[in-house]
Amino acid sequence: MTPILADALVVLGLAILTVGAYGVVRMPDVYTQLHAASKAAFLGVAALLMSAAVRGDGAIIARAVLIIALLTVTTPVAAHAIGRAARRRGEPMRSPAAIDET
Amino acid sequence: MSSVIFYAGIVWLALLLGVMVVRLPRAGTTAQRILVLDLLTLILIGLLALTAGEDQRSYALDAALALALLSFIATLAACRYHENRRPFT
Repeated sequence: MTPILADALVVLGLAILTVGAYGVVRMPDVYTQLHAASKAAFLGVAALLMSAAVRGDGAIIARAVLIIALLTVTTPVAAHAIGRAARRRGEPMRSPAAIDET
Repeated sequence: MSSVIFYAGIVWLALLLGVMVVRLPRAGTTAQRILVLDLLTLILIGLLALTAGEDQRSYALDAALALALLSFIATLAACRYHENRRPFT
């Protein structure tokens, strides 16, 4: 049961990570790319770390939980900093329905 | 973990890394470059997690932890520098 769960988590993580990378390649501007790069990529990496944790011993589980907790805290902060810097520098919004409310 | 899925995952993640490396100099703006670098380190963390799960050894996850911390600080410093030309005001 556990190897099947690890395999499923690896495939799930690869699929989500692929969606995130495809979103970064295809989205028109940095504000829409942030959605793919922060949420989808973090969830994919978290699934890969969980697949390492379900088969590992205590050391691997402790490190995987620590990395997932760290990424949960740091990924939104980094994404917010990127968006804030882009907005302050006046980088253009290129998505068709973009409305600049500032 | 079956070795077919492990090797397919390694190849696929390496392919994603290659796509991101090609994407890096072609990004239109500086914020997009910072974002692609951030995503590059996230994919590397995933690669290290995959090898740690296969080998049943924890030292790859030590490297992943250090990489996560370092990429967070690097992204913040790059964004602050891009925003007002000084890393920390």
